[in-house]
Amino acid sequence: MAELTANQLPAAHDDHGHMSVDEHNENLKLGMWLYLASEIVIFSIMIVGYVLFRINQPDVVELAHGKLGVGLVTANTFVLLASSFFMVMGLRAMQNGNRAGMLRWIGLTALGGIVFLGGQYIEYSELAHLGIVLGYDTSSIWSTFGMRFYAPTFFHGAHVFVGVLWALEVMRRGAKGRYDDNPIGIELFGLYWHFVDVVWIMLFTLIYLV
Amino acid sequence: MAEAMHDLGGDHGHHSNTVTLLGRDITVEGGIYTVVFGALAILTVIEVLSAEFLKGAIHDSPDAAVGLTAIKAILLLGIAIIKSSLVIWFYMHLKDEKRIIAVVLLLPLLIAALSVMFVLAIPPTGYSI
Repeated sequence: MAELTANQLPAAHDDHGHMSVDEHNENLKLGMWLYLASEIVIFSIMIVGYVLFRINQPDVVELAHGKLGVGLVTANTFVLLASSFFMVMGLRAMQNGNRAGMLRWIGLTALGGIVFLGGQYIEYSELAHLGIVLGYDTSSIWSTFGMRFYAPTFFHGAHVFVGVLWALEVMRRGAKGRYDDNPIGIELFGLYWHFVDVVWIMLFTLIYLV
Repeated sequence: MAEAMHDLGGDHGHHSNTVTLLGRDITVEGGIYTVVFGALAILTVIEVLSAEFLKGAIHDSPDAAVGLTAIKAILLLGIAIIKSSLVIWFYMHLKDEKRIIAVVLLLPLLIAALSVMFVLAIPPTGYSI
């Protein structure tokens, strides 16, 4: 997503129809929120699928809860919450003109995402070992649970992966001074990252606790 | 913690480190963002402990299982909604955004909620024609 710096745009909306930096930023943020709204619909479908399964197959879900455990996933949840904090601190640092601080905080954000994905990999490996796999083996009681569990959690994990790559790109651009005048690029990435955090807050509660 | 944050690049620009909470001024590096993170962490601990406690209570009292399960779901989802709202309001800065952004966010949630109600009305066995 191309962001413009203050030097590239006039300070105010002029007679030639040029947008001010503020207007340009507002448009980019509205576009990002609209994209996130579409993501809400996609995740809602997966969450509803799981909730219906939870209501109709309570015994299978209770059994699954015994196998899932909450230790690892709670630690992973803390990591993702912390990464959201690091993210917003990175934006704050850049808004205060502290480029080095921004790079460190966004670096920590990316690290949080990587640790989260590592935890998810460990969890998936353990579950596969216990027989909870993605597939329709009709002889297994997990045949229908697997899809309901892996679809939302893996899709979320894919978003974290994209977020980590985006964080690294933000760092690369930030190191070159791209956000010194206009940190909108960091703010847009922050909206995405916090949204991924919000989705996990709901998934964690619905899938592992309720 | 504040010292550690300074090492990470603590900055002293226009963001305030002082937050008024329940009538008291609290000064902490990171200001409202740190306070929100603390709230998120505490709520997560409460959430997990409540879930484990109620799971044990449901197991020990099969007669009250239906009621306790409902209480558990309402309590935990309530905490999750509070946590999500904190992130959206403060970290995503919805509190500073124009009203149209809130509409953009709430509209799909409203449609999803209405859709869920319709889907929940379908019996588990489906409809026989």
